[in-house]
Amino acid sequence: MSGPLGVSCDGLTFVYDEGASRVVALRDVGLTLAGGESVALLGPTGSGKSTLLQLLRGLLTPDEGRVLLDGLAAGEPGFEERERRVGLVFQMPEMQLFAATCADDVAFGPRQLGWSEHEVDAAVASALAAVGLPADRFGARHPYSLSGGEQRRLALAGVLAMRPGLLLLDEPFVSLDPASRRDLEAILRDLSADGMGLLLATHDVDRAYALCRSRVVLDQGEVVDAGPWRFGDGGEEVLLSHRLKPPFVVELWRRLGRSAAEAPPQLATAAEALA
Amino acid sequence: MRLAVAQYYARPSPIHRLDPRCKVVAVTALVIGLFLRSSFAALAIYGLAAAAGLLLSGVPLGWIARGLRPVVWLLVITFVLQLVVAPGPAFYSLGPLHLSVGGLEVAAYLSLRLVVLVVASLLLTLTTPPLALTDALAWLGRPLRRVRVPTEELALMVTIALRFIPTLLQEIDTIMKAQRARGASFSKGGPLRRARALVPVLVPLFILSFRRADELALAMEARCYVPGAPRTRLHPLQAHRRDAVLLVLVAAVVVFAELV
Repeated sequence: MSGPLGVSCDGLTFVYDEGASRVVALRDVGLTLAGGESVALLGPTGSGKSTLLQLLRGLLTPDEGRVLLDGLAAGEPGFEERERRVGLVFQMPEMQLFAATCADDVAFGPRQLGWSEHEVDAAVASALAAVGLPADRFGARHPYSLSGGEQRRLALAGVLAMRPGLLLLDEPFVSLDPASRRDLEAILRDLSADGMGLLLATHDVDRAYALCRSRVVLDQGEVVDAGPWRFGDGGEEVLLSHRLKPPFVVELWRRLGRSAAEAPPQLATAAEALA
Repeated sequence: MRLAVAQYYARPSPIHRLDPRCKVVAVTALVIGLFLRSSFAALAIYGLAAAAGLLLSGVPLGWIARGLRPVVWLLVITFVLQLVVAPGPAFYSLGPLHLSVGGLEVAAYLSLRLVVLVVASLLLTLTTPPLALTDALAWLGRPLRRVRVPTEELALMVTIALRFIPTLLQEIDTIMKAQRARGASFSKGGPLRRARALVPVLVPLFILSFRRADELALAMEARCYVPGAPRTRLHPLQAHRRDAVLLVLVAAVVVFAELV
């Protein structure tokens, strides 16, 4: 089974209950992501973004509400194999590298899925190629001999090797240098162009705007706004009032005297914007 | 995730307010006393003293029960073993097994003593924050500095270790989730397979811990930490009159128990 995977949830509520302390991480959260669609999940630190991603991948069990994959709920036939095709890239995923070679680390997921060595090799090669770490040059290297940006991409390859139909990314750009951020953004753009759905949890609004057609704003565990980017009709204020900021190109557009309602190009760099 | 060691039940109670050093001394005295004299009367006195402390501390019985859980098997084994091996006239025989009244007495005595012992120690750890406890032990160990035992450094090591237990648990949780998202399973298969399944968790955890230890050491040096140099405290330990009262009371209990 392959191809894009759609995900949605409704009424999701999740409470971190540690006995003495109870923290409501998410309250009645609903969102829909059609197969192949790119959506930005924006929100300040502690707004519940990571919890939501983990719920969508089935790593946490919601206290209320449910997650649907291609319209199927947990327990329905076909749900489990779809859940395996939800690729979740954790924040700082390079912290989870453990194997002695890059190829072995990327092969971990496919091997857990019980694929044949032949299929595993093919998946590893294409995943490494997709993140710009070709197997012939990087496959035999030790993961910790790579640079920080390369390690981040290697961890992404580990998820891609499982041939996901949807990528959930938790702050993928955090603590990378500008060049590595650009590389990663290009990779995600290519994946998206090839039909991979992206749910990009971040507070990097510029990159989110460059990569995603719509956004969901989460704050204190609740969805405060969802839908396509909108500016000039309160869209900027929504972002500003939730510890975010409007994308830099939108600001630039306004300063250039263009109408804010007129959709500015979804570009992330000044050079692209001026061109 | 809940941790069995270093559990602390925060609550304002007269027991919580006591100086940790005095609490350590008091519990040590009670435990030594408990072993000095083996009579049911002495045991009853120590039991009452522990119960009084428990009542004053306001620690729920459920927490005590949870603390006793790890020693339940030790209790059962002690009881059964003493019951079976003790000599004396049997009141019940089953094949080679002879149960005697004397055996029953010894078994009951040893088991109850173990319970009182554990409850007294639990009372100390449940009412004293771990850091106060290490401070107290460092202070009480000061005479050992004369023979070049680095007590301050040991105490700091324990403090840092305790400080990072929740952090490490959090990290283990995250890494396990990430590897589960990559298809790992930690509950399937036999013990060998399960142990092997932990490799993808332990390798990153160790690397992270070494990195963190390195950074912590640098940060401490940057803040002028010198091993062995005298350090002052923000909240120096201070004994009050209530601590003297505790020590006198405990001394009275021990003397009384030894005399009856």
